Amino acid sequence: MKIGEKFKKAFFTENPVTGLLLGLCPTLAVTSTAENGIGMGLATTFVLVGSNVVVSILKNVIPSRVRIPAFIVIIATFVTIVDMGLQATMFELHKTLGLFIPLIVVNCIILGRAEAFASKNTVWDSFVDGISMGLGFTFTLFILGSIREILGSGAILGYNFLPETSPTILVFVLAPGAFITLGFMLVGMNKINKVLQGSKS
Amino acid sequence: MAKQESGFKVIIVLVLIAFLSAVLLAYVNKVTREPIEENKKAETKKAIGIVLRGLTGYQYPEIPQEMEVDRSPVKYFMAVDSNKNILGCAVIVKAPNGFTNDFDMMVGVDSSGSVIDTYVLDHKETPGLGDGMSKEPFKKQFRGKNINNTKWLVKKDKGDIDAMTAATITSRAFTAGVKRALMTYNRLREDGK
Repeated sequence: MKIGEKFKKAFFTENPVTGLLLGLCPTLAVTSTAENGIGMGLATTFVLVGSNVVVSILKNVIPSRVRIPAFIVIIATFVTIVDMGLQATMFELHKTLGLFIPLIVVNCIILGRAEAFASKNTVWDSFVDGISMGLGFTFTLFILGSIREILGSGAILGYNFLPETSPTILVFVLAPGAFITLGFMLVGMNKINKVLQGSKS
Repeated sequence: MAKQESGFKVIIVLVLIAFLSAVLLAYVNKVTREPIEENKKAETKKAIGIVLRGLTGYQYPEIPQEMEVDRSPVKYFMAVDSNKNILGCAVIVKAPNGFTNDFDMMVGVDSSGSVIDTYVLDHKETPGLGDGMSKEPFKKQFRGKNINNTKWLVKKDKGDIDAMTAATITSRAFTAGVKRALMTYNRLREDGK
C-alpha cells in the first residue's frame, strides 16, 4: 500500500478516534489543552510503533493461543519505557499526563493494531501503520485539545490571547466539554469522509 | 500459525518474552533513575525558591526533616542563616480532603510565623476550577497572614478566606493545608528548634 494513501486513511477515513472510535478514554480525559493532547498522542505513537514492529517480528513465533497475553506484555513494556523516559526528560509534561500514561496499556488502538494489522503484515508495513495511526491519533487529540483550550480557557498552547478578566466557557475544560466537542468533531469528520469518498467514485 | 501448539512451546515463548521485557525494563530503569531523582530535587528546589521568596542568604538541609501534625505526616526544610538563626521554614503538608483526594503543597513561613507564599506540588483537582489555587488571584490573600490574625476557614464557614468560585471544597482543603503548615512552624518554635 502506498504511504500517502495509508496516511490519508489514518487521518480521515480510518482515524482511530473519529473513524474507528477506539481509545476514547485518553481522548476524552487528557485533551483539556492542546499541549496535553500532543503529549498523549506522541506517547501513544511511540508505543504503537514499538509494539507493532515487535509483534510483527514475532508473529510466527508467538503461538496463537497465547497471542493476547504476549501482545499485552510487549505493549506494557513499551508503555513503562515511555513512562520512565518522560519522567526523566519532560518532567512537567509527565506531571500533567501522569495518571494516563500507564493507561496507554489498555488503549484499544494499540492492541487493536497489533491484533488486526501487525500480526499479519511485514515489519515495514507494520512500522508505517504504527506511525500513521499514531499521528492520526495525535492529530485528532491536538484538534480536540485546541478547541477545548480556546473555548474553555481562552488560550492556545498555553498562550493567553484574551485578557485575564474576560469570561470563558468553563464547561469545555471539564469532562462534559470533551463529549460535546468530540460529538461535533465526529459530525464534521463524517462530512469530510463523505466528501473524500464521493470524490473517489 | 499452527492450529494447536504444544503446551511446552507456549510456555517457553511466554517466559522468553517476559524475560526479555524484564531485562529491557531493568536497563531503562537504570538509565533513567538518576535524571528522575534530579528532576524531583529540582522541583523541590524551585518550590522552596518560590515560597521563601524575599529571604536572602539562607541555607536549608538537603533532606527534609519530618514530624507529625494533626495525625498527618509533615516534612519541613528549616531555612537558617550562617549563624544558625532561623529565617523561615518551607513546610510540605498534605492538604486534607481535596475534591479528588488529599494533595501536597508547600508553604513558606517567615521567622515571625507569617505566610510568605504557597506552592502546590502535586494535585488532581479539577482543571479550570480547583487548579486556580496555584494562581495569583486566589493565593495572594494568604501572604502575610499568621495563625492568630486570621480565622482559617472559608467565608462560607464564617472564616476569613475568599473561596474560589465553584471550588469551595478545594479552597477548604487549601486553607486547612496552610493552617497546618503554620501550626507546624509554631510547634517547632515552641519546641525551641
